[in-house]
Amino acid sequence: MAEYDKPAPFPDPFVGKPYWDGGKEGKLMLPRCTSCSKTHFYPRSMCPHCGRDTIEWFEASGYGFLHTFAVQHRGVGAWTKEVPYVTAFIDLMEGDRVFTVLRGVDPLKPEEIRIGAKCRIEWDQAGEDTFMPYWRVVEE
Amino acid sequence: MPSNPSRAAAIVAAAESNEIGYLETPKTDMMLAIEALQNVCREAGIGVHDIEAVFATTNANEIAEYTGMDPRWIDTTSIGGCSYEVHVAHALAGINAGMFDIAVVLNGQAGYSRRNFPRGGTSGPTRSMERVRGNADPQSPDTMYLMPYGVGGAPTLYSHAMTRHMYEFGSTKEDFAQVAVTTRDWAMLNPRAVMYSKETHPNGGEITVQDVLDSPLIAWPLNLLDCCLVTDHGGAVILASERVVHRFRGKPVWIDGAGEAMQHTSMLEIPDFTTTSAKKSGARAYAMAGMGPQDMELALMYDSFTVTAAITAEMLGLTRRGEGTSLWDDGKAGPGGSGIPVNTNGGGLSFNHSGRYGMMLLIEAYRQLAGIAEDGVHGVKGKQTAARSAVVNGAGGTLSATGTLVLTAD
Repeated sequence: MAEYDKPAPFPDPFVGKPYWDGGKEGKLMLPRCTSCSKTHFYPRSMCPHCGRDTIEWFEASGYGFLHTFAVQHRGVGAWTKEVPYVTAFIDLMEGDRVFTVLRGVDPLKPEEIRIGAKCRIEWDQAGEDTFMPYWRVVEE
Repeated sequence: MPSNPSRAAAIVAAAESNEIGYLETPKTDMMLAIEALQNVCREAGIGVHDIEAVFATTNANEIAEYTGMDPRWIDTTSIGGCSYEVHVAHALAGINAGMFDIAVVLNGQAGYSRRNFPRGGTSGPTRSMERVRGNADPQSPDTMYLMPYGVGGAPTLYSHAMTRHMYEFGSTKEDFAQVAVTTRDWAMLNPRAVMYSKETHPNGGEITVQDVLDSPLIAWPLNLLDCCLVTDHGGAVILASERVVHRFRGKPVWIDGAGEAMQHTSMLEIPDFTTTSAKKSGARAYAMAGMGPQDMELALMYDSFTVTAAITAEMLGLTRRGEGTSLWDDGKAGPGGSGIPVNTNGGGLSFNHSGRYGMMLLIEAYRQLAGIAEDGVHGVKGKQTAARSAVVNGAGGTLSATGTLVLTAD
């Protein structure tokens, strides 16, 4: 497979470890509070909704909906050669929101990109032990 | 015994560094700050060592050391471009509590010169991404979950808010472009504005909505002329307690209300892309002042992007929800317009913006209300308005935090 040439973080070995470990198996793992039942993202050691530290991890559906987007025409670093590309915030089916580069849309036709469109996660191998999540519009 | 700090202090002087804009010979943050400090002390008629409290983003302690000050209050609150409005709020509280009488709020920022500095100092977000495997905080949410996706600079993120506003309220790129056009009209009355004329900048002078739409796309839906400048700027204001305000020769501009608020730090956590915490900080400032949006005769609102100012107008109650750009419609907010004047210095869009623009809002607010905003040159009409009250809103981060002030002149 092609070498992953975009920036990738050193996966958080502490609080967010289950998220990154899940990616190796193509699963979206999310933190949830057993006291108030709410999901949150980014991963924390306490619940930002109710303030308690009763966090568990669960496997989410991997589906979400496009909340908003932009088309990057300048780019940053290694992404510069990919312009224009679409960046987006995705409302997770299970609650809260993530950021991504959105696939399955035409960056040159932003007027045709539909907010609310259903999206699905996919994981690219970005290093020996690192997988990066991307989201793709799967229905119009 | 707690008391309402409203009007416990006034701004009595405001000044800038000797040069602002795109400096031919680079200057550092500290050089710009010290120039502004010397100038504001000269204007206030005090010595640097008369200052008892120092407020600056990240380096109030370094400024105190550099200048030989002996401050009894040191505040380095740094929450983005709104920090200086928040500094004023904190200074008002400290003065009201009797902790000090004379304070400086200060900023020097080499937003433009910085790019010519030798490498090796602190680095911005784009460069830190390259080092991300080295020494970044493994729990930093932006580093982990946002910056790997080809974003970094402010327009790469603010653009998402404009898209959502267009989706929820049916606003258009043309609506937002009008903000840039009207703001430019003010800049054309301010010879210190970068975009004052074609002579001061190739893109300067008069622009139309079509010019904004035709300018290069940065991050759709933001075009170049929807975006603020990145320049060098130093600025400072002096605050004095009600007890000592008579010692200053400058006209006092009273701090009737002050409020601060935040809704997130990382844009991953923004609750609603079409709101800011100005809803809260504005309500707090209005409540302290015992005034409301209908009492405001001037609005100075952080315009990092056209969309920033438009959303802020909604949050401060100057327009209805979703109709922020209507404040600028048909040039209403411009020189001689039928609405309240907005961003009379030419804004971050066309005057100057060093990275944290909140200081420039304070300086323009003081000058307008003190009646010394006339920057006109021979044969050119100036920008002084008749306003006796102003709402000033700084915004910081990525629609993250805000500081709102209600100011009045006697």
